[in-house]
Amino acid sequence: MELATTHHDHVTVLAIAGSVDSLTADTLTAALVEHVGTGRVRLVCDFSAVNYTSSAGLRSLLGALKESRRLGGDLRMAAVQPSVLRVLSLSGFAGIIKIFDDVPGAVSSFAAGA
Amino acid sequence: MGTNLAKSTSAQSSVSLVIGSGSVKCAAAIGVASVLREAGIRIERVVGCSGGALFATLIAMGHDDATARDMTLRLWTQDITARRNNRALLSALAPKLMGFKASRFGLRDDSLINHRLQEAFGDARIEDLQVPLHITATNFMDGELVDLSRGPVTSAIRASLAIPFAFAPVELDGQLLVDGYVSDPLPISVAIKHGARVIVAVGFESPMMEQIGSAGRFAMQLSSIMSNNLLRARYAFNSVAHHAEVITIIPEFKKRIRLFDTDKVPYIIDAGAQAAREQIDYLRRLLDVDGAAGARVQ
Repeated sequence: MELATTHHDHVTVLAIAGSVDSLTADTLTAALVEHVGTGRVRLVCDFSAVNYTSSAGLRSLLGALKESRRLGGDLRMAAVQPSVLRVLSLSGFAGIIKIFDDVPGAVSSFAAGA
Repeated sequence: MGTNLAKSTSAQSSVSLVIGSGSVKCAAAIGVASVLREAGIRIERVVGCSGGALFATLIAMGHDDATARDMTLRLWTQDITARRNNRALLSALAPKLMGFKASRFGLRDDSLINHRLQEAFGDARIEDLQVPLHITATNFMDGELVDLSRGPVTSAIRASLAIPFAFAPVELDGQLLVDGYVSDPLPISVAIKHGARVIVAVGFESPMMEQIGSAGRFAMQLSSIMSNNLLRARYAFNSVAHHAEVITIIPEFKKRIRLFDTDKVPYIIDAGAQAAREQIDYLRRLLDVDGAAGARVQ
């Protein structure tokens, strides 16, 4: 898994490439904890290059989602591939997390107050 | 290729396999099990629910793909639900006159499915199978999931397949049992409870109907809605609660699969194998890491 961070005004975009699973979840969790811990609580996870998410990946996202919301922000997802979306839907994540078609849509949703 | 995969995989490599409800679609698990075997990954335990119970049993018995496919083709045909149970229908319409009994209420005659199960599994007992097997059903009186890990295979499968309204419940060890999907359509919790670390879960959502032109279809649609919501709720909890890994395999079917599309079994098995192959590299790396961590603890 590879991570790349970019900043757009008050929104941090974390582009993730590869598989979010038991072998990579710690790396993702560490990155998300660092962002949230330094006050970057408006997060967008760019999933356009993520091909798989397992239960360990879901737990990583859930932890960051709860913490960012607790601090007044949010974690949103963008460009989720159909195979990953099926797991998010089956696990109920699609019901509690905001998912956008693309990164610009997810970033601008914070400004729009969505 | 299979030999190379097997050689490079840790001897400790094993997973628990959970097969959810989904009628004939559950045959995909045969393809999943085949790919796991090919990769040298042992199935330490198998859990099956409803249609999944049938295929979990075939896997626990150690049948190869061809045998499992042939048994499915003989067992799961449309005529098992063809005959009506008129007495049950009359007892539903006139309960006082005909004497309604929950233990006998099923609108389809179950004599053929009982015969087929007996023919396929005879007097086999769950505790004697090659791989530890758990078949899940639901206690009709309190709604709890029942984990059947001992006793006759045929009764357990029949209980797990007691589709509400279609087949009568099964009385087993003092409990009245109905279909396992009513309590959990993908019983990952059973594998977690028995100490599984890496769980491979093969699950399916119930299909929604586009046209509802009868009371029967109305009831089926309601059942699908409820079971899908239950599936998601239980799956979400189990995914978050489990300390290790749940690898979910949801085969993608490009063809529409109906309840008794037995002729599509070979295609369904292939789709399961294909979906498993997409996960196998990750699974092998995970098991290698898991095995190394286990060795350090010892």
